[in-house]
Amino acid sequence: MAFLLNQLLTRSAERFPERPAIWARGRSLTYAELEERSNQLAHLLRERGLAKGDRVGLFFPKAVESVATMFGVLKAGGVYVALDPSAPADRIEYIIQNCGIRALVTTAEKLKTLNPRQIPSVEFTVLAEQNVAPEAGNQIPWMALVGFDGSRPPEPLQPTTTDLAYIIYTSGSTGRPKGVMLTHQNALTFIQWCADEFRVNPEDHLSSHAPLHFDLSVFDIYNAIEAGACVFMIPEEVQLFPASLTRFIVEKGISIWYSVPSALVFLVLHGRLGAADLSKLRIILFAGEVFPMKYLRQLADLVPHAELYNLYGPTETNVCTYYKVDRAVLASQERLPIGRACLNTEVFAVDDRDRIITEIGGEGELYVRGPSVTPGYWGDREKTHKMVVPNRFQPHLEENLYRTGDLVRLREGGDYDFLGRRDSQIKSRGYRIELGEIEAVLLAHEGVREAAVVAVADEEIGARLRAFVTAHNGSALGLPELQHHCASKLPQYMIPERIQVREVMPKTSTGKIDRVKLALEA
Amino acid sequence: MPETEASIKVQIRQWVAETAERKGVEFTSDDESLTASGVIDSLAIFRLVSFLEETFELRVADEEIVNDNFKSVNEIERFVNGKLASKA
Repeated sequence: MAFLLNQLLTRSAERFPERPAIWARGRSLTYAELEERSNQLAHLLRERGLAKGDRVGLFFPKAVESVATMFGVLKAGGVYVALDPSAPADRIEYIIQNCGIRALVTTAEKLKTLNPRQIPSVEFTVLAEQNVAPEAGNQIPWMALVGFDGSRPPEPLQPTTTDLAYIIYTSGSTGRPKGVMLTHQNALTFIQWCADEFRVNPEDHLSSHAPLHFDLSVFDIYNAIEAGACVFMIPEEVQLFPASLTRFIVEKGISIWYSVPSALVFLVLHGRLGAADLSKLRIILFAGEVFPMKYLRQLADLVPHAELYNLYGPTETNVCTYYKVDRAVLASQERLPIGRACLNTEVFAVDDRDRIITEIGGEGELYVRGPSVTPGYWGDREKTHKMVVPNRFQPHLEENLYRTGDLVRLREGGDYDFLGRRDSQIKSRGYRIELGEIEAVLLAHEGVREAAVVAVADEEIGARLRAFVTAHNGSALGLPELQHHCASKLPQYMIPERIQVREVMPKTSTGKIDRVKLALEA
Repeated sequence: MPETEASIKVQIRQWVAETAERKGVEFTSDDESLTASGVIDSLAIFRLVSFLEETFELRVADEEIVNDNFKSVNEIERFVNGKLASKA
């Protein structure tokens, strides 16, 4: 069994050298090519001085080079950080500095958007595109890879079970994103479970819908590689248009689909699934938010032969519970359970008196233990100590638990229901959003005195964001200016759809902004 | 009074410019790809469809919501004109 993620590729490349591994934007790489390219990149990174645990950023739209880069970094002993290619420069520069990224794999166009003075930790860049100028200073063209040994990866650097593989940045309540660290072992725990549960095989065609900075993408890529299957990255211009997306599923013969529910809702509503031959689609996985039951029932009817699974888990544990949709009871179910713990993982709910819930109907916060739990947040010991806590319920295990912050209820039979969040975190299109982070950005504007952001429930995308602000005395707050301010600091999915400037904020009896009242007005 | 061709393009361009502004995305020309620049995402596309349906009193079928019809301001205008012509 593999103990490092990159071994999954090396093993499949030995078994299936000529089979296609990835398809993206009309280009594909076979297993032999992907192995060779990632070996070359690993040697290049080593030669440039990359040491064990050093961070490498991936900053370009999904392409076959994305996967070659992920494996190249891992083979060099590094840690990759996938950066949202559509996020504002300010946020990207913050992340690069926060985890001290030494090398950036990017494109000339994306690199241009960053201010070199804001990213002093970056020592060199590799331009992941076919036709670029020859090596210049600290910019290395992709074609320079041909000068490196592609036949084998570099010698591993004393691997241990605690080695990090990648860092995923998610919304943080303090106004800045936080980096969730994931080890090879964390990821492999999940991937091995998926390989068994979903019987991923070399004939499978997996779709890759989620962006690489989103943890749903871990399944698509690594489970395809693990099995010797092929992963098809969905181009943006297909992803946006449901009818085109349906055609993509049919034409590429997608057999395993994984996305947030909102993407599937769009397909159900506008994708003309009923008219398509979806016979190859055998498994549909979804995670990241609650699937509205009425659309799930429609999906189940439109794809009657496919197995449907609800996966649950914060980035900090990847996926920790699963529920296989039972078509026999779907019509009468009021809510879809998040199910029970994946193999190798244990979950339990803890009530207000710090007791593990064992009685049916009991409610509490969900805790997760096992080899999938993150070691913590990059450079944030305080946050790590708050969320990743010693296992006080089973002290003999000498390990940590992850507190999800999610409230759940134990059902008869051992499944859990998801009830909601303990804090002001919400989900929209599967993205975790701390409302406090958006409020902090609004408050950072010099004209803003008070700010409140509320989420309005939305069946199709989970939630829509509405912001309310008041101005400092004497300052005239321009709406376009505020919108511009948000757009320069926040990724698109966190920008409020509407910002309202108010004279005063409604207050609760304790003098706090009355968010409940605002939510009713929104 | 029927919409003139110029006013159709102006209204589409204004909607696109406002959406781009809100998202902090640059919008420079009627030819530019709105999906590549990020002006149009999976939510915006349905808002745009509703906007076109309401503004120009037409119905957009699901199979018409494809990249070819929504690639750029020019393509959207061509699509709207085609719909209006077939309606008349």
